[in-house]
Amino acid sequence: MADHYRSEPIEALRLESVDKVYGTEDNPVRALDSVTVGLAPGSFTAIMGPSGSGKSTFLQCAAGLDQPTRGRVFVDGAELTGESETALTKFRRQRIGFVFQQFNLMPTLTVYQNVTLPLRMAGKRSDRDRTTAMLRQVGLADRMGHRPSELSGGQQQRAAIARALVTDPRVIFADEPTGALDTKSARDVLQLLRSSVDHLGQTVVMVTHDPVAASYADSVMFLADGRSAGTLDKPTAETVAERMTHLGDEVHMQDASADAGRKVVGL
Amino acid sequence: MSMIALAVSSLRHRKSTFVATFLSLFLGGTIVMAFAAMFDTGTADGVDSTTSEALVTMASVVGGWGLIIVAFAVVSTLTMSVRQRSSEMALLKNVGATPGQVSRLIVGETLAVAFAAALLAVAPAALTGKILLEILQETGQAGEQVGYVFGPVALSVGFAVTVLGAATAATVAARRTSRMRARDAVAAAALEQSGMSRKRKIAAWVFIALGVDLGVVTATVFNGEGVDAMQTAGQASIWFAIGLALLSPALLRMVTNVVGALLSRLGAGGWMATQNMRQRVHQMGGALMPIILFTGIATGTLYMQSIENAAAPVANTVTTAEEAQTIETLNLVVVGMIALFAAVMVINTLVSATTYRRQEFGQQRLAGSTPQQVLRMVGAEGAVLASAGVLFGSIASIATVIPYSIARTDSVLPDVTVLLYVGIVSAAALLTLASSLGAARKTISTPAVEAVAV
Repeated sequence: MADHYRSEPIEALRLESVDKVYGTEDNPVRALDSVTVGLAPGSFTAIMGPSGSGKSTFLQCAAGLDQPTRGRVFVDGAELTGESETALTKFRRQRIGFVFQQFNLMPTLTVYQNVTLPLRMAGKRSDRDRTTAMLRQVGLADRMGHRPSELSGGQQQRAAIARALVTDPRVIFADEPTGALDTKSARDVLQLLRSSVDHLGQTVVMVTHDPVAASYADSVMFLADGRSAGTLDKPTAETVAERMTHLGDEVHMQDASADAGRKVVGL
Repeated sequence: MSMIALAVSSLRHRKSTFVATFLSLFLGGTIVMAFAAMFDTGTADGVDSTTSEALVTMASVVGGWGLIIVAFAVVSTLTMSVRQRSSEMALLKNVGATPGQVSRLIVGETLAVAFAAALLAVAPAALTGKILLEILQETGQAGEQVGYVFGPVALSVGFAVTVLGAATAATVAARRTSRMRARDAVAAAALEQSGMSRKRKIAAWVFIALGVDLGVVTATVFNGEGVDAMQTAGQASIWFAIGLALLSPALLRMVTNVVGALLSRLGAGGWMATQNMRQRVHQMGGALMPIILFTGIATGTLYMQSIENAAAPVANTVTTAEEAQTIETLNLVVVGMIALFAAVMVINTLVSATTYRRQEFGQQRLAGSTPQQVLRMVGAEGAVLASAGVLFGSIASIATVIPYSIARTDSVLPDVTVLLYVGIVSAAALLTLASSLGAARKTISTPAVEAVAV
């Protein structure tokens, strides 16, 4: 599968037959079941599925936060290998940016310090002008010296996006980035992610359960019961909601292979 | 009633938060009961007057000091645990709990923990008291025939001190949190903003002044009065250390300002440590307190005794060998008890405070920090805490050591071994670093993603 991606130069993210099994040997829980995905650089992909479909596990395995039980993960052509936690951290901070539902900004640092933290941890110098420009871009130029507790949720999330962008990563993973925000702040955050793809050529992978959020992406990849359940290009909130409603049925009907999923999309 | 039910269920679900409170109350209860048992033993029928006097003196002197230190420790542990839970308290208020209900929750929980701690302290206290009496009998300070009594005084004083002391401490700790308006409480939970209260500063300076005063009295009034000078000298460093411990947030801010620039150059870990300490002088100050007390009291008392051992007997005062022996035993018991208690407090505070930072460590790792960088940060914080604790503890000990040296030997600096001091400082540094690094290592063994999920 995914043969048509082979002609692309290097995929920003590639998962090959990734399995993730939790639980005991007697009672295994298959969170991911031979998932294969290839995402082109400069694409914006939403990952959707009902609760327990493996969305979070997918993101964690793809982003090097968790180890797949089987299969391989490549970010920008480099394989994520499960060496030490230190090696994984270094891999992540060179190639991956994160945006989380709960922002995860450091409470004792100012916005500016938070944004430059990944560079500092990597022992790199931060460029004051570039960081300031980035903070202006996310609308926080006048909040650089504030601490997270002094900001609204939307502002914190925009600071987190600036922090994800600052290292110029190969892929940005966003895990329910609008889950804790009001509608207006959510829209701002989604537009920021969109513009990072359109203007900076970023690659964004976003896990969400919100069809409106998913409609900002170029395509949606559906997961159900740990398996790929098809994709949807140029999604709108309505088409996504429609697909989500019938996702359960499809999985039961089909062989649940990614190819079968694609055929369903084709219909 | 509903608050009590809530308190009990809250206890059941937040075991780790209560371990620190429990340990300080349990150990405090054990010490207080064990020494109160000396009172029971000494006042029993048929005890000779010398033994009776020695035992009652020990019970009141050591027990009295124990009481002060225990109260201090319990207040600081409770303040820390209430601070750690301030967002939970804020949440309760947001769903409509009144300040009174929140206070009753905190006090109710603490009472439950204190009662359990006092109950469980009975058996170890009875045993400790028995061993204490045997030591006193072996060193000839208590008659061989004196029977051990663990009676009404031990039990009533032990329970009263542990349970009432904890309730009072909890009330004080709860007041500040519960008074805060709900909105402010949520913000304050994320970042501490308040300075030290006026009362606290005044209390600190009163204790420091008392310590200095006792030092001056030792060097002047008791100059040439022999071992009598211990009456004031021994207390001087204890009060001074308590005063400095109360000022610990301000002291830590001062030290951080001095060493921060240097520390920040030692990589990302050192830089993070500096930022954390600047923003959290109160939280970190809680860990500084027992280090100051440990260093100050251990150094003060042990050097006072070693000056005494080296000093020539004073001609016009009559100190028998038995009396000297009793004094030395008393000093060693006091210092041993306080040092043990302070050591447990250091471990208690640091382990609890570090474990509480699980989520923060996770966030930091998701932002690109390697596990080693987190440990280096914790290590840098521990090094600053240990240095500050040793520095101010040593300053406190001067209030005992120099005046006593003047009083007994007429020289400002005592001519005694420095090894004792090296030992105390090493113990303080080792306790601090081992507790915080050990707890941090265990805390970061959780995957970062799991750690940030509340």
